[in-house]
Amino acid sequence: MSLLAVSNLTKRYRRGGKSIAAVDDVSFHIDPGETLALAGPSGSGKSTIARLVLRLVEPDAGRIEFEGDDFLALRAAALRARRARLQMVFQDPLAAFNPRATVARVLDDPLRIHGIASRSERPRRIAALLERVGLAAELASRAIHEISGGQRQRVAIARAVATKPTLIVLDEAVSALDVSVRGQILELLLDLQRQERIAYLFISHDLGVVRAVAHRVILLDAGQIAESGDARAVIDAPRSAIGKALVAAAPRLHGTRR
Amino acid sequence: MTALTSIRDLTVTYRRDGTAVAALKNIGLDVVTGERLAVIGESGSGKSTLALAIAGLLPAASRIDGRIEWPGLGRAPLGGRDIGFVFQDPSASLDPVMPIGKQIAEVARTHLGLTWPQAYAKAKNLLERVRLPDPDSALLAFPHQLSGGQKQRVAIAAAIAAGPKLLIADEATSALDTIVQAEIVALIRRLVAEDGMTLLFISHDIALAAELAERIAVFRHGQLVELGATARIVDAPAQPYTRALLDAHIGLDAEPLLNRSGLAT
Repeated sequence: MSLLAVSNLTKRYRRGGKSIAAVDDVSFHIDPGETLALAGPSGSGKSTIARLVLRLVEPDAGRIEFEGDDFLALRAAALRARRARLQMVFQDPLAAFNPRATVARVLDDPLRIHGIASRSERPRRIAALLERVGLAAELASRAIHEISGGQRQRVAIARAVATKPTLIVLDEAVSALDVSVRGQILELLLDLQRQERIAYLFISHDLGVVRAVAHRVILLDAGQIAESGDARAVIDAPRSAIGKALVAAAPRLHGTRR
Repeated sequence: MTALTSIRDLTVTYRRDGTAVAALKNIGLDVVTGERLAVIGESGSGKSTLALAIAGLLPAASRIDGRIEWPGLGRAPLGGRDIGFVFQDPSASLDPVMPIGKQIAEVARTHLGLTWPQAYAKAKNLLERVRLPDPDSALLAFPHQLSGGQKQRVAIAAAIAAGPKLLIADEATSALDTIVQAEIVALIRRLVAEDGMTLLFISHDIALAAELAERIAVFRHGQLVELGATARIVDAPAQPYTRALLDAHIGLDAEPLLNRSGLAT
């Protein structure tokens, strides 16, 4: 059984009196422990799909099954409880967290809210989470705005894994990082996936990164699936027009255009 | 090969929380007239400070030691006239409540002494050159009516309106998606060639720099790590840091990080 099954998902927005489908009849699934990438140009619908899957916005049509249940039917307490299993990491953790909160506070919240650890147990759990993502325990007392961008994204990952999720939505989670840090964060994500069988919905505009970390990829164009399949097979030989355009536009170190 | 601008012992210091932070340390480099030079580095490398220093746009509170000379110009440059500057975020450099035609025409009028009708004709011509669809109505459009890529085309049109010798593009394509980025890079390359401009291309992306530039300068922690012809930097870097940057690039031919065994597919 799929971990996540999305069927005929549609989301329309009104712009200038016209109705535009940001996501248009999209269906896909993710298996446990799998990375599915969504790639496409700006406005292709990839971030809208992320928000729909997280139920940050509600779809106009379609069905989302998560862990076998009708995810769109969950309300209030049942939805909150299930959200522990479906986590998220965004591009800019400085925007996601209170910048003046300490690292410990940011990690304490999910442990407290989801009743994962008692008050006395939480400091130890926080230290273990920091170690899990490769950060020193001393970092716990630092404010979010004081630490580096790479450290901040590690904290965001620690917070996401704190509730033992089965799926994490990564929306451009490595796009703003320096290249030297990006590789380390990708390695951390793959390590967590191997050890804890977490699945990722990996949203990125960067086909090189997608090809390096994803099992499968969906290429989106104007809210629709243009092409999908094994990540390397699709990116090495795209068949759709958007796939060909994305591959042609990717910068190459040994480019022929020089 | 004359230097358009010659930078010697340039040190730039900012004050932050009462302490002095050196953003650039003893930089020496020449930007050769007519070349496309990329300056690459990670955050905190000083690459944007270098661009601002050359353009004379550093904040007043910063301390500047060393010299920036302009042998290729024979005089001090006039900002906006001799140097065109394209920033990462075109929304921040365009006036949101002024039609874009007027914003471009204003540059031409101020620096070239044109009348308004002449300046508007020039603006229309520039919008054609940056390949904005329907230049006649685009003249009257406001920035919010354009896409991110179109806004960057307008910002480029304004930057080159006075016929600058030097075009500085500071992360000018970083906020754009891959396809639009490639279009804007191709546009910059064409305009630089057509107008015989010198290009200073500031980027965090070594592959993008390699596609566009003839020479690459690698910066780290405010220092110039190495400078050389693009092929030499990419194929035979002299410094370990440059090698590390090249290795960190995840291209379409990179070895997958994913170990596929034991995972469900």
